[in-house]
Amino acid sequence: MAEKSAKNVLEPYAWLLQIITGLAMVGLVTFHFLTTHMVEHALSFESVSLRFQDYGYKIIYALLLIFVAFHAFNGLRAIALDTEFGMKRKKLVNWSMVVVFLAALIVGLYIMFLF
Amino acid sequence: MEFRIRRFDGENSFWQSYEVPTKKGMTVLECLYYIRDNLDSTLSFRASCRMGICGSCAVKINGKPKLACETQVSELKNPIVVEPLDNFKVLKDLVVDFEGFFAKHKMVKPFIVRDDIDYNSPVELIQTPKELAKYYNYSLCIKCGACVSVCPAAATSEDYLGPAALVAAYRFCADSRDKDCKDRIEIISSERGVWRCHSAMACSEVCPKKIEPAKAVQLLRRKAIIHSIKKLFRW
Repeated sequence: MAEKSAKNVLEPYAWLLQIITGLAMVGLVTFHFLTTHMVEHALSFESVSLRFQDYGYKIIYALLLIFVAFHAFNGLRAIALDTEFGMKRKKLVNWSMVVVFLAALIVGLYIMFLF
Repeated sequence: MEFRIRRFDGENSFWQSYEVPTKKGMTVLECLYYIRDNLDSTLSFRASCRMGICGSCAVKINGKPKLACETQVSELKNPIVVEPLDNFKVLKDLVVDFEGFFAKHKMVKPFIVRDDIDYNSPVELIQTPKELAKYYNYSLCIKCGACVSVCPAAATSEDYLGPAALVAAYRFCADSRDKDCKDRIEIISSERGVWRCHSAMACSEVCPKKIEPAKAVQLLRRKAIIHSIKKLFRW
């Protein structure tokens, strides 16, 4: 079992990136809440459009999207692999999560850069 | 005191109660022996050293895995509920199958590996007290299986190496005399290894030897990450 997959290189990096994205999200989510919930009418369409004219905002939100998407889908991947059902379909689980992660990223970034 | 024991006859699981006359200083193991010798000779359980060294008598007592030989009946509430360890296949009554447990243990090479050992002219391998302290606590593992029985990762994944095998892996990786940590790291770094741990810390909570297997898993993760980064840069 473990010997068969001794050459697996995905798991250590996936875990390390999970930690890094988690830590990065602490700062980015705090920034998100401060800018969207501490200011009046911050979530109106006009305010959002105005904010996204600034490239600094766009970069911060693009990073937030990348980190959140990675953290969420890598977490789901780990949960799926924790079960015998998921572990037996390891490749399917891994590739499904890569596809969903990329799809979330493309859709999110496309909408973000429409502004 | 009343002993409620979850029994298994190979086909059916059922509860059976026994009334045991207890006295101060009696352990759960002594009560199990009393039941078998005086009340029901068909009751099966494992035991050997009777002093918390062999790890054979680990069972679930009032919901928590404990060594029967180290658990005083006076500490427990009446009735005393005794069950086989969770996350193991029950063979009979309180006896569970440890084959997979020891196979995983064997997989992590729980021995010192060196390429310069010459049995014809053996030499002493010097170790400082500081070097000994790095792994000493982990060398106290008695392989009772209590940690595995409460591990949520072991409950969902049958092939997960489990806290006990990972403790053994760390114990030998941290030993200054060992020269084969890389190979061990490759094994524990697989998808059935340290990455399946959820850091629930239940293993550390129930360990009768207070070994802290959860800490060993975290230390192994650090070693595995460093090893992977070094490998990536061919360092």
